[in-house]
Amino acid sequence: MKADLPPRGGDVRQDRGGRRRAPSIAVALTLSFAVLAKAEAASPARVMSLNVCTDQLAMLLAAPGQLVSVSELASDPGLSFHSALAASYPHNRGLAEEVLVAKPDVVVTGAYSLHNTTPLLRRLGYRIEEFQYSQTLDTIPGEIRRMGMILGAESRAEGMAEAFESELSRIGSERCGTSPTAIAYDQNGIAMGAGSLVDSAMQAAGLRNIAAELGYSGMAPFPLELLVEKKPDIIVLPEPLAETPALADLIASHPAIRALGEGTLRIHLPRGSASCGGPFVIEAVKVLADARRRVVSCQAADRHLP
Amino acid sequence: MNRRSLILGLSACVVVFFLLSLLTGPASYGPIDSLRALVVGGDEAAAIILREIRLPRALLGLMVGFALGASGAALQGFLRNPLAEPGIIGVSASASLGAVTVFYSGLAGASMLALPAGALVGAVASVLLLLGIAARHGSTLTLILSGVALSSLAGALTSLALNLSPNPFASYEIIFWLLGSLKDRSMVHVAIALPLMAAGAALLFASSRALDALTLGEESAASLGIDLRRARLFVVGGVALMVGAATAVAGAIGFVGLVMPHLVRPLTDRMPGSLILPAGLGGAALLLAADVSVRVAIPARELNVGVLTALIGAPFFLWLVARTRREAF
Repeated sequence: MKADLPPRGGDVRQDRGGRRRAPSIAVALTLSFAVLAKAEAASPARVMSLNVCTDQLAMLLAAPGQLVSVSELASDPGLSFHSALAASYPHNRGLAEEVLVAKPDVVVTGAYSLHNTTPLLRRLGYRIEEFQYSQTLDTIPGEIRRMGMILGAESRAEGMAEAFESELSRIGSERCGTSPTAIAYDQNGIAMGAGSLVDSAMQAAGLRNIAAELGYSGMAPFPLELLVEKKPDIIVLPEPLAETPALADLIASHPAIRALGEGTLRIHLPRGSASCGGPFVIEAVKVLADARRRVVSCQAADRHLP
Repeated sequence: MNRRSLILGLSACVVVFFLLSLLTGPASYGPIDSLRALVVGGDEAAAIILREIRLPRALLGLMVGFALGASGAALQGFLRNPLAEPGIIGVSASASLGAVTVFYSGLAGASMLALPAGALVGAVASVLLLLGIAARHGSTLTLILSGVALSSLAGALTSLALNLSPNPFASYEIIFWLLGSLKDRSMVHVAIALPLMAAGAALLFASSRALDALTLGEESAASLGIDLRRARLFVVGGVALMVGAATAVAGAIGFVGLVMPHLVRPLTDRMPGSLILPAGLGGAALLLAADVSVRVAIPARELNVGVLTALIGAPFFLWLVARTRREAF
């Protein structure tokens, strides 16, 4: 099941102007997909998803009966924001044999998971649509539209992508005052550095990610001492991924984090909201933006205009 | 070297490495600032770092090292076996298995008290099993080989239990339970380990006269008025308490209990009873030094301290095996 966890982020540094360029990228993507769409005749009748990230996009966009199965992780509330939706679908374990039995018209999966399954299925003549793991918010509307294109649900996808974009720009326009510092401090003291989806969500919410500023990129071990020394305004702590305990979860209740006191706001992101790129990432951004409002008082005068 | 100066010298080493441990870490504070923050508070972040992160780590290095060194000395004396050590004969691995079984099953919620409780059960069971084997077959190697088998079995079952846990992080924690670490511990760990270790140390010290008498053989010891059943109970209880508590908070750290008794034995009167305290102090100094080294060596990706003690201890063990065999045959 580890194959489906988000990959360690590369050094994809998000440049600060990225978000402003996003609409033009989105237009370009839409145009290129429109060309592709012409080549696609009808929407495929049977689609199978093998990855927790494509599972969620597919469940949101597929017509009833179109999605034959989703991956087992789709029901894992720690990783899948739409785990409740997954209850009504059959589950697969990402095995090539399962695909051979189900004979779907299209298989959607993540580019980072199932290294052996995907080439095997391609060789057997299946149509495989791979999705990159989203590491920035900019790519999410494009992913939504692409999934819409694959499923033949272009208009639903367009509406969803536009809603995401407008929510994002609304949150951006409501920022004011100085940017508070923050860190997402996960199990085992792993911080979300530059190039991670959470870093991108922090930027969108107007927070300064101290892990990224200190040169950490992707998911990187971040010393607890350094966290105490930098004393960020906001700490995003993880919730346990399972009912049963693990030592990894104890870091969130370490006395040193508790000792930071009232000056540091401790928050949780909605479960599964930042483990995949999808429209639900906006829920993570909203929680971060809400935390920002609680830390920095907003005066009408210094409100950013869009 | 007389006993007094040996104890003083070892204590001085412990103090030096304890202070070094307090002063080592990614946050950059000078020695004076650090110690002031520890004692009087001062800069808020510095005080939190020293009191909540570095002090528990240094205390646990001292306590766990002492527990392993003293247990190694007691086991070597009691089993009259120079290769006996909590790690090698499987006591640490069994304690890990006990802790893992109770904690990860979620039987005790996420309570950390599950760790020492499970570890104690595992440690007691393994010591009793080994004593049973030792009572039947007197040979040095039979005991060690049984211990190695027990250690592998406990390690495999620990891995199995962690792989079966639905928590996706559990399987990554195999390395902690098999090659312990002192990273990011807290005063909670100190609080759960200290009373158990203190009780264990008391039992081991109380059995030191019996250990000395046992060097003459069981019958002679009995004729000297030693209650062998009581001595056995004290050694089993003492080792289980100390190793169980150490493993519950720091995972299985090997070889400290093997190396230290051999290093300090030539400096003592060679009686097992008088070896417990110096071996404990030496173990504390060794583990503190090892724990400082892992933090300095690769600061970004900290090594588990058990890896370092194994790197030092395993070649030492091989040398000891070769020497023991030469003497035996």
